[in-house]
Amino acid sequence: MSVSVETPATEAVIIMRRTFDAPRAQVWRAFTDPKHVAQWYGGHGFSSPVCEMDVRPGGLWRHVMRLPDGKEFALDFIFVEVVPPQRLVWKDAGYDDPPAAGAPQRINTVTFEENGGGTDLKLVTTFRSIEDRDMTVKMGFTHIVSQGIERLAALLQTL
Amino acid sequence: MAADQLSATLFALADPTRRGLLARLANGDATVSELAEPYDMSLAAVSKHLKVLEGAGLISRGRAAQWRPCHLEAAPLRNISDWLEDYRRFWDRSLDSLADYLKTMPHPDDSGA
Repeated sequence: MSVSVETPATEAVIIMRRTFDAPRAQVWRAFTDPKHVAQWYGGHGFSSPVCEMDVRPGGLWRHVMRLPDGKEFALDFIFVEVVPPQRLVWKDAGYDDPPAAGAPQRINTVTFEENGGGTDLKLVTTFRSIEDRDMTVKMGFTHIVSQGIERLAALLQTL
Repeated sequence: MAADQLSATLFALADPTRRGLLARLANGDATVSELAEPYDMSLAAVSKHLKVLEGAGLISRGRAAQWRPCHLEAAPLRNISDWLEDYRRFWDRSLDSLADYLKTMPHPDDSGA
């Protein structure tokens, strides 16, 4: 079963959904206990030499992900909302900083819903936008439309 | 792709007018007047959007006298498409891995937190 991806035309998000054949409480634990998270994060062939999670609003999630080729990436997140067992929100650690030469900042919202004996997961990634190139201006949310990008990319392939 | 270039591209694409301008340029070069035609906004407003697109490297402007046709530059779009694809693949892999892990994960009897 693979992840379904939506890119709604009017919102600046990527939405991913997946159904798991496991009870919600278990999926919640797998997502919020660093001992478990380290077992699946990144996928097969990846490992997590560091995975520390302080699962509460304002708490830090420090992660080092090791790729199959041995390269390591440090990832730092901050929890925003924690509502067991149904909702977890976290953001990139640089989310509230002025824009800098770093990856686009994101806020992730994952919700878990019971579905018979299984669990429906929905992950919404929202990108921060920059209302003004002036770094002193407060950030809002980025609106991107992958649908638009795909359409353009398809057009570009014909050029 | 430089991370700040990625951000600049995302920001440029964040606006429906700018996406429309890019879609029009995907069909060939155009002047500012030609680009402004379908929109109920001033040339100055369109120029502002074009400046953002140019800053993000999504378009280039010709130097020919006062006409300065705009030209779509494909590389940033391909890069952003690749980046989004990598992001989707990261979660695809991770959630596949989670599904497998859930089968073997020890779980005590628990009515849910």
